[in-house]
Amino acid sequence: MYKSEKKTITYVLTLYLSSTLLLIATLFTSYYFYKKEQLTHDEKEVLKEYSIDIEDRLASLHEDNNERYEYPRLDNFNSAIYDIDKNLIFSTLNMQIDNINKEFFFKGSNSYYVSSIKPYYLGAAYTVIEKKTEPVNILNDLITLAIIVIIITVITSLFLVKLVLKPIRDNLHLLDNFIKDTTHELNTPITTILANIETLDAQNCNEKTMRKLQRIKVASATISNLYQDLVYLLLNHKVSSQNEELNLSEILNQRVQYFMQMANVKNVKLHVDIKDDVYLTADRQKIERLIDNILSNAIKYTDKNTTINITLTPSTLSISDKGKGMSEDEISKIFERYKRFDKIQGGFGIGYSIIKSIIDEYNIKIDIQSQINEGTKVTLKW
Amino acid sequence: MVKTALLILILSSFLNASLFEEECLYCHTNDFKFNMMMKKYTTKYSSEKRIKKAIFEYLKNPTKDKSVLPLGYINRFGIKDETFLDDKTLRDMIDIYYKQFNLKSKIY
Repeated sequence: MYKSEKKTITYVLTLYLSSTLLLIATLFTSYYFYKKEQLTHDEKEVLKEYSIDIEDRLASLHEDNNERYEYPRLDNFNSAIYDIDKNLIFSTLNMQIDNINKEFFFKGSNSYYVSSIKPYYLGAAYTVIEKKTEPVNILNDLITLAIIVIIITVITSLFLVKLVLKPIRDNLHLLDNFIKDTTHELNTPITTILANIETLDAQNCNEKTMRKLQRIKVASATISNLYQDLVYLLLNHKVSSQNEELNLSEILNQRVQYFMQMANVKNVKLHVDIKDDVYLTADRQKIERLIDNILSNAIKYTDKNTTINITLTPSTLSISDKGKGMSEDEISKIFERYKRFDKIQGGFGIGYSIIKSIIDEYNIKIDIQSQINEGTKVTLKW
Repeated sequence: MVKTALLILILSSFLNASLFEEECLYCHTNDFKFNMMMKKYTTKYSSEKRIKKAIFEYLKNPTKDKSVLPLGYINRFGIKDETFLDDKTLRDMIDIYYKQFNLKSKIY
């Protein structure tokens, strides 16, 4: 899976999931309160029935010609009676009620229902019914349901994102396969060209032929460089790094020599300031790729008749050109694979992608400072 | 001092009780009727304060509207005469009546 693909999937998933979660949360909250309201209503209806029951019992008690009146006590609820001035007459409630102005309320784990009665049997103008509240047990069910819905949503959204990204993915695979095939086919001719140019006897050539040969050599070096990049990209994840202590000063000098002819074509001077015996533990091929890519980019994008400064210190390598430069936006996107800002210049847009993978592997920091129409300075720090 | 106050209180309650017997129970000898009247007042006025007030107002100025008795009963026996007791004595008598016959204290 490509990095950009991962990024897209993450974005889409986050967006899709957050909106779905918001919707689920809204629906479930509404449902929870609706259900709670419904249960409250049911509870109130039950208490209302108890209230009628107690009123009937009070009426019949009132009509009795007894010396004393036994207050009705029932198993499923408790009750109290108050006179018209809200003074307590009698109570079997578990809790003391201070305020009987509300018709229905909860206190502790009980629910209460207050109703007024008339005539005032035994002086009772208000009855208060107390009943243990039935707990609302829908929250656990709702949470389970929410988890199931979220899992289904995640699976669906993953499937959808993959479906949407499929055409882009196919195109990228096509491009990768094309590069793979091209690389394979380039190997033999490049080797042949480079080997044969080296064996040509320069003394037997006139100046004009010599210049032509130089150009062929530069062109071949460019293709070779590109070939090396492509090979690196294709084999990067398959070959393990052969780390060793490298003399970076020597390698840099060699690479500068290698690119000298390419620079000469544009009449670009390579000004080197390389400290001796700078060592770094890394894979030789990877460090060469790193240097080659930064250097070839500098040569490619610097203006004609300018100077490229190459400076190596024990902990930094900086290469600066005087070319067209890059904007902040371009710098921020420079490490994306196949990203090219200049359509006139050749290339696949893989150079900085390779640089990024190497510096990440060796914890090398990169600093790119660039000004439009002034040039770019790339500094590596380790 | 306390003893004196207590003595006065006991004496006055005895005096009031005997006054109640003299002024009220002399005619209303039947407890049953007194109970019935208290039930009727309780059913109509509910609280102690309102019951006492209603009894006082009725005894001071008895009318058909203020009576708690059924209309047929009033038509047959008529409205009782206005009380000759002074306000304080009347209130004391009502207090004793309520204390002895109220329904609230009979609930258990």
